[in-house]
Amino acid sequence: MAVRISEIFNSFQDYLNNEEELREEIRATVRNLEKSARDILMILQNIHNENNMEENIISQYCATSRELFIDVRKNYAKLAEVVPRDQYYRFYEQWRFVTQKLCFLASLIIYLEIKVLVTKETVAEILGVKNNREDGFHLDLEDYLMGLLQLSAELSRFAINSVTNGDYNRPIEIARFVNDLNAGFRLLNLKNDSLRKRFDGLKYAVKKVEEVVYDLSIRGLKPSPDSITEKGE
Amino acid sequence: MSQTKDDGKNRGHRSKINIDDGKQENVENMHENSLIVQQFQAYAAELDDKHDRFERIVKIGRDINIESKRIIFLLHTIDKKSKQESVLCEANLRLQKVAQHQFKAIAFELKDQDPYLYLKGYRNGLEEYIEAVTFYQYLKYDNMENWLELEKTLTYTFPEKSKTIQILISPFEYILGIADLTGELMRQCINTLALGDRASCYQTCNFVRNIYKGFLGCASVSNREIHRKLSTLKQSLHKIESVCYTIKVRGSEIPKHLLVDVATGEYADSDEGYQAY
Repeated sequence: MAVRISEIFNSFQDYLNNEEELREEIRATVRNLEKSARDILMILQNIHNENNMEENIISQYCATSRELFIDVRKNYAKLAEVVPRDQYYRFYEQWRFVTQKLCFLASLIIYLEIKVLVTKETVAEILGVKNNREDGFHLDLEDYLMGLLQLSAELSRFAINSVTNGDYNRPIEIARFVNDLNAGFRLLNLKNDSLRKRFDGLKYAVKKVEEVVYDLSIRGLKPSPDSITEKGE
Repeated sequence: MSQTKDDGKNRGHRSKINIDDGKQENVENMHENSLIVQQFQAYAAELDDKHDRFERIVKIGRDINIESKRIIFLLHTIDKKSKQESVLCEANLRLQKVAQHQFKAIAFELKDQDPYLYLKGYRNGLEEYIEAVTFYQYLKYDNMENWLELEKTLTYTFPEKSKTIQILISPFEYILGIADLTGELMRQCINTLALGDRASCYQTCNFVRNIYKGFLGCASVSNREIHRKLSTLKQSLHKIESVCYTIKVRGSEIPKHLLVDVATGEYADSDEGYQAY
C-alpha cells in the first residue's frame, strides 16, 4: 500500500517537473514576443507626431512594423512546436496578453494602410498562427476581439491628434470606423468577463471621436463630403 | 476603399434618410456595413457556442458534485461488517452510474474540443468524484488507483463518430482529490473507533501518513491550492494520530463506547462537524 501511494506521488512529481520545463520554454518565447510587441508599439506611436503625411505613415511606420512581424511569426512557430496538440488552453494564460497586444498592432497597421476592419483570418496570418483551432496553434477569438477594443482606444487618441496636426479628414473616417466596430460588437452576447469590461470602454472611444467630429462641424472645419470621398479612394 | 458621406453618427438613422438622397449610396453603405455585420455574426455564433457549452458542462459538473457527496455520505454509513458488503456494492453501482451518465455527457460535449478550455467547468465535480472513488477503493481494497487507471474507466467511444474520448483528469485534480480524501478518512477513523474497531484506526492512520509523506515530496510546488490542502491534511493527520494515541494509552481503562468521546474531546475546538455523523 505504501509503495502504491509513493508510486502515485512519484509520477505526480514527474508530471510537475515536465510541466515546469514546458512552461519555462514557453516563457522564454513569450518574452521574445513581448519584446517585438513593444518595439512595434513604439514605432506605431509615431503616427501621433506632428506633420505626418499619409504616405509617411504607411511607407515608413507600417512597413517597418511589418518587418518586425517576421520575428513575431518565427516566435509563434516556435510556440506551436513546443505546445503539445490539444493543450493550447493548458498554457493559454502565458501568451494571452501578448497575443492581444499583437492583434491590436496588426489591426492598427491594416487600418492605417487600407482603412478597413481586419478580419480574424488576416490577423492570424500576420501573426503566423492558424485561424481555426482544429488546424493547430491558433488565434483565440476573444484575443482578437480584445485587440480590436484596444484599437478603438488608440484610434480615438489618433483622432484628436490628427486635428491638432491639421488633418480634419481623419477624425471623420475614424468616427465611421469606430461606429461600425461598435455596431459589430453589439451583436455579440458577452459574458460578464474581461472582454465585457473592455467592451464597456468602447463607448467612451466612440463618444470622444464624436465630440471631435462635433467640434469640427460647428466651427465649419469639417471638410466637404466630396473631398473625403476623393481622399478615401 | 470606398468612403461615404456618412459622418458616423447614428449610422442607422442616416442610412434611412439616404434612401431619399440617392439609392446608389445607400446600397454601397449597406454593403460595407453588412461585411462587418456578417463578420461579427460569425464571431457571435462562435462565442455563443463556447459559452453555452461551458454552461452545460458546469451544470453536469454540479450534478457530479452532488452525487459524489452523497456517495461519500453513503460510505460513511458503514457501521457493521455485515452491512459493509451491501453498502460498498451500492456505492460502486452509483459511482458507475455517474461515469455512465454524467461523465459520458461531458465527454460528448468535449468531442473535438480542447478539454483544457472547459476543465474549469467540471473541475469541482471531478475532484469530488475522485474523492468518492478513492474513498470507495480504500474501503474496499485498502488501496487506491493511479489517475491513469481512473482515466481508463472514464473513456467513451462514440460509434457514430468512431471516436474515443477520454475525460481529462489532470494529475493536479487527482492529487487535490486525494487531499480531500484524507478529511473523509479522518471522519471514518473516528467513526470506526466509536464502533470499537481499533485495528482499522491504526490502518487508516498509516494510510494517511503515507499520503502526507507523498505531499511533502511535492511541497516545492508553488501552488496555493496544494499548500492550503496540505495544511488541512496536516490537521487531519494530527487528529488521527492523537486518536491512536488515546487508544493505546487509555484503551484498557475506558469502555469502548466512551473512548471516542475521550479521543475527540481534546479537539472539539477544531471540530469540523464530524460528530454529527
